[in-house]
Amino acid sequence: METNTTSLPMKILVAVLFLFLLGPVILVVPISFSGEQILSFPPASWSFRWYTALFNNTPMISAFWTSLLLGAIVTAISLAAAIPAAYVIVRMRTAGSGFLYNFFTAPLLLPTIVLGLAILIVFASMGFLGTFTGLVIGHLVITLPYALRVLATTLGNLPLACEEAASTLGGRPFTVFRRVTLPMMAPGIVAATALCFLVSFDEVVITLFLTGPRLSTLPVQLFHHVESRADPLVASVSVLLIFLTLAVVIIVDRTVGLSKTFVK
Amino acid sequence: MTASTTIDAAPAMPRFALGRAGTATALLLPIALINAIGFLLPVLNLLRMSFNEALAGGGIRETFILDNWTGLFGDSFYLELIMNSVSVSLGITFLTLVVSYPIALYLHRSSGRWRTFLTVLVISPLLTSAVVRTYGWIALLADQGPIVKTIAALGITPPRLMFNTTGVVIGLTEILMPYMILSLLAGFGRLDPRVEEAAMTLGAPPSKTFWRVILPLTLPGIALGCLLCFVLAVSSFITPKLLGGGRVFLLATEIYDQAIVTLNWPLAATLSILVLVIFGAALAVYARVLRVIE
Amino acid sequence: MMHQKILSGTPTASTDRDVHLRLDGLTKRYGDSVAVAALDLAVPKGELVALLGPSGCGKTTTLRMIAGLITPSDGRIIVGGSDITASPTYKRDMGLVFQSYALFPHMTVAKNVAFGLEMRSVPKHEIEKRVKEALAMVRLEALSERKPRELSGGQQQRVALARALVIRPSILLLDEPLSNLDAKLRDEMRNEIRDIQQSLGITAVFVTHDQVEALSMCDKVVVMKGGQLEQIGTPVDVYETPATPFVASFVGRTNRLEGMANGDGTVIVGTGGLRVPGRPGGKVEILMRPHRLKLVDANAAPEGSAERFNRLAGTLTRITFVGDLLQYHVDVAGSEVIVEAASDHGRGFWRAGAPVAITWRVEDTMVFGRGA
Repeated sequence: METNTTSLPMKILVAVLFLFLLGPVILVVPISFSGEQILSFPPASWSFRWYTALFNNTPMISAFWTSLLLGAIVTAISLAAAIPAAYVIVRMRTAGSGFLYNFFTAPLLLPTIVLGLAILIVFASMGFLGTFTGLVIGHLVITLPYALRVLATTLGNLPLACEEAASTLGGRPFTVFRRVTLPMMAPGIVAATALCFLVSFDEVVITLFLTGPRLSTLPVQLFHHVESRADPLVASVSVLLIFLTLAVVIIVDRTVGLSKTFVK
Repeated sequence: MTASTTIDAAPAMPRFALGRAGTATALLLPIALINAIGFLLPVLNLLRMSFNEALAGGGIRETFILDNWTGLFGDSFYLELIMNSVSVSLGITFLTLVVSYPIALYLHRSSGRWRTFLTVLVISPLLTSAVVRTYGWIALLADQGPIVKTIAALGITPPRLMFNTTGVVIGLTEILMPYMILSLLAGFGRLDPRVEEAAMTLGAPPSKTFWRVILPLTLPGIALGCLLCFVLAVSSFITPKLLGGGRVFLLATEIYDQAIVTLNWPLAATLSILVLVIFGAALAVYARVLRVIE
Repeated sequence: MMHQKILSGTPTASTDRDVHLRLDGLTKRYGDSVAVAALDLAVPKGELVALLGPSGCGKTTTLRMIAGLITPSDGRIIVGGSDITASPTYKRDMGLVFQSYALFPHMTVAKNVAFGLEMRSVPKHEIEKRVKEALAMVRLEALSERKPRELSGGQQQRVALARALVIRPSILLLDEPLSNLDAKLRDEMRNEIRDIQQSLGITAVFVTHDQVEALSMCDKVVVMKGGQLEQIGTPVDVYETPATPFVASFVGRTNRLEGMANGDGTVIVGTGGLRVPGRPGGKVEILMRPHRLKLVDANAAPEGSAERFNRLAGTLTRITFVGDLLQYHVDVAGSEVIVEAASDHGRGFWRAGAPVAITWRVEDTMVFGRGA
């Protein structure tokens, strides 16, 4: 449905560039079915051996469960802390709510390598390194700003009149919030949930500084694996991860629409 | 970030048992607490750390010295590291712009479901771990990989594409593409297809239309995308670490090595602050460029 | 700030006993600017009062202060004898219909209407009964399970009305409820709202910038401008005997001439002389409604005595056909006066450039002093 201003060479160029953009991700699918001992493309033989290897790789499996649990907890805390904060900043509009918003979303401006180091140094003295608590707080530092940003935007776009109507009808502030504000924020909450979970589940750099020998997340485990060995195991994990991400994305798309969530 | 829906009246907020200020404080407490422990304290501490003295074997002496900073600029290794990081990042930014611009322009001109589909394609890599995408590049760029083999089959001596700067540049360019495309699209809002049509009806051939009309109108989007990609490139860690194979020295990888391997936290902190200074400089250049464009 | 007193033109001026809603020096300031300046108002039980004025006149602010959505800077709000100035919105028992309707998008029509009753812990079976009644009143029983987005603008408006009325509020507040409807629907809803209000005998305050709505629906009209009260009166009062030039020009259309009054009931305009009601003196402005003017031949004999009719000579400059009316633009001593007459198949008797005279009754002349 493109306009006729696009010429054929331009179309070919765009197709090649899309291939460049998506190639590395698409590539892991065939690699995961490789029958070879080492990473190679195209593989000389095909098999499911790396999926079998994955399910027998205890550190990888336990890292997956850690990541899943971590993502769930981080998401829950992010929502619990960001919803009231968004309400205060957007709806109560105290003096300096603009400053508060900028302050609470500031961690997104810092590169994760710097944040990771900063958190490492402080957490070392607090005894948080290599602990689950440390990972939760470390992830919250970056998921909270995302949650706040999505939720504050959602709330800011909601008409105030509905909440006012509810209060003229006799709803007390908390009742109005629970029965009107919160349900109307639902699309934003779904988006924030998906975003927080994906950000936490994918986080590598900060986590690298905070994990210990006995506690690791899946992305960190993958990182160390790629760093030390070149075999197709990571491809099989990646394929499963892509499907997990796809599932989350489809759920979000069905609920609120993808472009509304990520293209802001 | 404005929420006002009425013209001549700001809403009166309901009264709370704790009072307005009390309620607001209570509701902000959780986020403030997490922010204080996980962000404010660590960042302030990082600043302080860059003035401490590193002792042999990972020890730290609380003091206030400028040695880390003077050492940085007196050591040719670090000077080269900084110059290298900045120039490689600039190169990556330029390449990313070149490969992203056609996609963004095409996306801007498409519409309906096709556009939605392409947008999803552009966003989807963002939802895939950088480790996974870098891993894909390792498979592609390896010495026995398909690209090297193809070049060799053409009878040319293939260059090494991995564990050197070339690999890092290729990998990061692809990793940063979605950010560039989305920034460009945001800036393309001003580009009305009728303006192009107007230029062509006035007799401008496609190439002239591009250089004289399209490009100038999209400069703000280009500036935004370049700023974003530059800061992300300067601070990127995963891809340089994995595709560089320890042979490419950039700021982010050095910070990690100093923090985890050498255990020289004061030096790592100093390098981190330096990254932030480069961020600030990039932002200043961006503001300047934007003023010239407008 | 001076308090403006109520100028009730009705013969049965409301006594204190009948007053249901009273505003007492109600004021809202934002920093240095005054949105509403010391407004006094008394609304008898069962009356529909319009707050009329251009945007920014403070009418919506006043309504929102009554509802408790804005905290007044000064003054009191008294309903049924008790001061509610400090009580929160949810305790005020007001039914507010919003300009945007503000229906809860996630609830069905029935759930929207039931909300206020649920807040009042009304037993379930009674909620059902009253929701049904309220929806029957606005003729929407069939749509009770629909979501608001599946309704037309007019239907949403009716749901909003039912939701506000089902709680049997002590006062019904309407904030520009018709401004989002198209013209035909607006006429219908105007009558419907008025009928329901009268049959329930509920006290109501209606905010609008539309003079037709205010004049046609309401018992009393409060004209406001820049936060100040301009006039309170019956629709006939504000139309026929406007208190200020602003009221005259906002409530209906006017022609404006400037003149010098002699203090004996005559005014000099240009080279002509006019008779006006009363005995003003000094610089004055004269306002006349276009449809109360008559265009006559410059040489025609006067229609009645000069005591009862005014007459000014001028030149016809332009004739505009606007469908059911013809507008004659007449140059009178350098000022343009518009005369409106029913159009007869678009044909007028006059031609542009003709010397003409305009005449009208002395009592149709509105005169206001212009100060020194």
